[in-house]
Amino acid sequence: MKTTLKYFFLPFGVFIMLIICSSFVIAPYANPAFPYKGAGLTQRQAAAHLLSRFTYGARPGDIDAAIELGLEKWFTQQLKGDLQDNSLQLMLKNYDAINLSNSEVSKIFPNPGQILRMAIKDGVIPKDSVAQSGKKDYRQQLAGYMKQHGYRPQAELQRQLINQKILRAAYSNNQTRELLTDFWFNHFNVSLTKGQSAEFVPAYERDVIRPNVFGNFETIVLATAKSPAMLTYLDNVTSSGTPETLPQAAKPQQKRRIGAQAGMNVEDSTMRGKALAKLQQNKKVQGLNENYAREVMELHTLGVDGGYTQADVTQAARILTGWTIYPMENGYGSAVKNLIERIGEQNLEKRGFVHDGDFLFAANRHDIGEKTVLGRKFPANGGYEEGVELLKMLANHPSSAKFISRKIAVRFVNDNPSQKLVDKMSATFLKTKGDISEVLITMVSSPEFWNKEALREKTKSPFELAISAARTLNAEIGQPYQLFAWINKMGQKMYSYQAPTGFPDKGQYWINSGSLLNRMNFGLALASQRIPGIRINLTALNKNREPESAEAALMTYGKMIMPERDLSQTIDRLRPMLNDPDLQKKVEAAASKNTVAQDKETMAGETSSMMDGSKDEKVAQASVKRNQGKVQTIAGSNTMLAQVVGVILGSPEFQRK
Amino acid sequence: MISRKAFLKAGGLALFGVSMGGIPTFLAEAANLVQAPGLFKRKKILVSIFQRGAMDGLMAVTPFGDKYLQDARPGLMMSAAKSENQKPLIDLDGRFGLHPSMEAFQQMYREKRLAIVHGIGSPNNTRSHFDAQDYMESGTPFSKGTSSGWLNRAVGLLGHEATPFQAVSLTSSMPRSFYGDMPSVAINNLQDFTIQMKGNPAGTNRISQSFEDLYDQTSSGLLKQTGKDSFDAMKMLKSVDTKNYKPSNNAHYPNSALGNSLKQIAQLIKMDVGLEVAFAESGGWDTHFNQGKDTGVFARNVADLSNSIMAFWSDMEVYQEDLTVMTMTEFGRTVKQNGTGGTDHGRASCNFILGNNVNGGLVHGTVQPLAVENLEDGRDLAVTTDFRSVFSEVANRHLLINNNKVLFPGFQGKGIGVMS
Repeated sequence: MKTTLKYFFLPFGVFIMLIICSSFVIAPYANPAFPYKGAGLTQRQAAAHLLSRFTYGARPGDIDAAIELGLEKWFTQQLKGDLQDNSLQLMLKNYDAINLSNSEVSKIFPNPGQILRMAIKDGVIPKDSVAQSGKKDYRQQLAGYMKQHGYRPQAELQRQLINQKILRAAYSNNQTRELLTDFWFNHFNVSLTKGQSAEFVPAYERDVIRPNVFGNFETIVLATAKSPAMLTYLDNVTSSGTPETLPQAAKPQQKRRIGAQAGMNVEDSTMRGKALAKLQQNKKVQGLNENYAREVMELHTLGVDGGYTQADVTQAARILTGWTIYPMENGYGSAVKNLIERIGEQNLEKRGFVHDGDFLFAANRHDIGEKTVLGRKFPANGGYEEGVELLKMLANHPSSAKFISRKIAVRFVNDNPSQKLVDKMSATFLKTKGDISEVLITMVSSPEFWNKEALREKTKSPFELAISAARTLNAEIGQPYQLFAWINKMGQKMYSYQAPTGFPDKGQYWINSGSLLNRMNFGLALASQRIPGIRINLTALNKNREPESAEAALMTYGKMIMPERDLSQTIDRLRPMLNDPDLQKKVEAAASKNTVAQDKETMAGETSSMMDGSKDEKVAQASVKRNQGKVQTIAGSNTMLAQVVGVILGSPEFQRK
Repeated sequence: MISRKAFLKAGGLALFGVSMGGIPTFLAEAANLVQAPGLFKRKKILVSIFQRGAMDGLMAVTPFGDKYLQDARPGLMMSAAKSENQKPLIDLDGRFGLHPSMEAFQQMYREKRLAIVHGIGSPNNTRSHFDAQDYMESGTPFSKGTSSGWLNRAVGLLGHEATPFQAVSLTSSMPRSFYGDMPSVAINNLQDFTIQMKGNPAGTNRISQSFEDLYDQTSSGLLKQTGKDSFDAMKMLKSVDTKNYKPSNNAHYPNSALGNSLKQIAQLIKMDVGLEVAFAESGGWDTHFNQGKDTGVFARNVADLSNSIMAFWSDMEVYQEDLTVMTMTEFGRTVKQNGTGGTDHGRASCNFILGNNVNGGLVHGTVQPLAVENLEDGRDLAVTTDFRSVFSEVANRHLLINNNKVLFPGFQGKGIGVMS
């Protein structure tokens, strides 16, 4: 009976699906409708699920707000990503390095090696004192030199970069933009671990990734291809044609030098690729470098099974020869700098050069021959444009549609998304020329996003765990770097994943016996205010109402931290802990202390208002001290509460999203 | 999912049972299988040490009679002849001399348990630390996109059941060598392996128990299993006083990053927690400035390296039969000294392999006279042995891994006889 019915309704289902699909084709943005009811979810459950995937965790009140707005509308608003972020901007005001251009960064934050070389050159540091690099006065000398010239250590730049990411993730109203910034950064990964590209990472995230996260895929592919961070990270910055393929204008010496390198004696022919490698990567040696060309196909667009060959990689690399960085002060490209000075900036275009921000197409390094990639011919003398054509072709290739759609589904649905879902998304991808927003709408409008294979199936990365914990508790993040220390400890050193693959996006990668205990410890440390510079107020979260019993606290805070989840098991499991008589005694003892502390606080407030202005600062300091005391007393008074919340944050349920 | 069948052999089990009074699940499972003969055959252990920054192989193991080298390094060259004002090189075979600060290695070399490979390096001639380390650790010198590290693939090829501690890196973050699908642990300090509630021991136990229950009940298989492993492992480590560890044989570990890492690896091995692939790091090898001779920064580095390794070796006493220790570095340094009393990025370096089954007492590989025409790019010691030849041989012979296609994709070379 049941079966018959199902088949009876099947055609209707298909019909409805068709209507839904076609409605997107006609008016894609207008009226997405999320099919969560079909998956048996209430609107509130659906909101909780949607926010768990498209924010860094719901703050108190976020779910209500999304429901009020309407889930579809909430989502389209997030896809615009242009909500006001005034309070965030205020917090970011203190970070003076995060808005610097690459060129300014390279001026102000030279890497340690550069500083040392300059200091020695300027005679500030005698050559032979370098062996004492551990000594104090040596360090002082160097610090003095840096101060005098306005140089600052690169570690500071990286610290600001990390801090701003944490603050944006925790406080931006444009949560989905931040999530996608993280997603695309990881997809087009660059790393602070590579010294040469480290200084370009802040501008990379800010100018190359963040503005392009919702646009057409080809835009972000092109933007990354031309960015100093990617050009250095995957070595295209030095890639150039071989002597016979360089334009006539190239200087004969250059050709000779390259020729000599290419013809170099190779004594061990068994080492495959050695001759080629000789041409690669040595700063002094120019030649073809395939690294970027390979990874743009394998990792950025087509995917490893995308149907390209080694020959395609080599040909693509030839197309991208000459794609490099415009010279910067204290930065890259002194050779190019001389050349530009000789030619004159105004004549660059005539000579086939392209100068676009930090990017330079150096026509003199470009392989002018004919190339063929994936069966498509690129005629000789294609210049800069053939590179653009190549990248657009790759970005819009059906293999890319599949590969990118799957990767998005893995990030937002589950670790093994169904082929059906991926097919739907890649159909949209192809139809819209890789419109990322449209692909996301197709995904969220699919039942697969809402069914039980998706619900709570993703494991939070350490970053997501830390930020979601801070958000759910309305934490005041005064020292973001303290959170970074924990995130690193839990296994995600942000911006420092060495391989171009980016962090793997699957639960198995994040959850191992080395990291899991750290997750639990993080929850305990955060809830009990043991992370310096991260302040929470647990009682305020419950509108300053003290839960009447430990069990009530568990219920109240459990629901607050993990809305719309089945908490019965968690509560059953934690009941014995709450019934511990020791704990009850502590709670009572601490509660009495708390009252006293609050009285003192009131008095302090009154006193300070009577002080004259000259002592303001002192008073402020004293008040800070008292406040800290107060926070700690409150935390202490709520040992029970802090423990309950800590355990909830460290519980398996909170590791999922 | 990992099964923990083979976690323990009887010794660790007994130790654990006595101190804890309760036997964690994976140990209990193991106990049930103890009778089956052969199942608890002790596993081989490979300890890899990455010397980051590129060690000057020509100073560590110097072809001291090479007149080209003498000319190229007037300020760095040492002699094997005794002299008043500096310690001589340790003459290994009439041709190569070991740096005097590696005295600790001498006996092992004479006992043929220490092998040296000279002229080892990558077929990719990059002289960037980042790229060269990346290529060496991924094991694919021409492909940056390889998602896994060679040691992670080695773990995958071991072909038997694992414990949570099968692959452990004593580093603060996961090294590239360990990237990949096989579960591995990166931990800076074994004492972090616990539930932390400062100043509240009673609370700690209670909370710990709560977490354990929660993870035991969760519907996520991954979290449940890993939770179980984590708590079992935590109890395991708790049963041993890691803080007041007393090395065997009065072994004295240098108080250095490497010394501390190796000391903790030794503790894990002695606990029989199933460690098979361990990883540690040593830094400071990028000696562009004043690298010194018999004293100075290089001398301190090699002293730390050799003393740490030898402390570990003697601490390991009864486990030596199961152990191989191998060092590696991303490339070597220029034959010529530079203008600041140091050396710049070069090509080939040397490495050390220690173990009872090593073809020791030999300097393997090929080092030609260092005349300019024999140098790579006219400046560097030529790479004559692909690092993969040596790494794969060690993995094949010591860990009994037999799938080099997976271990080093695209590599078709053969071993060079560093293992006997």
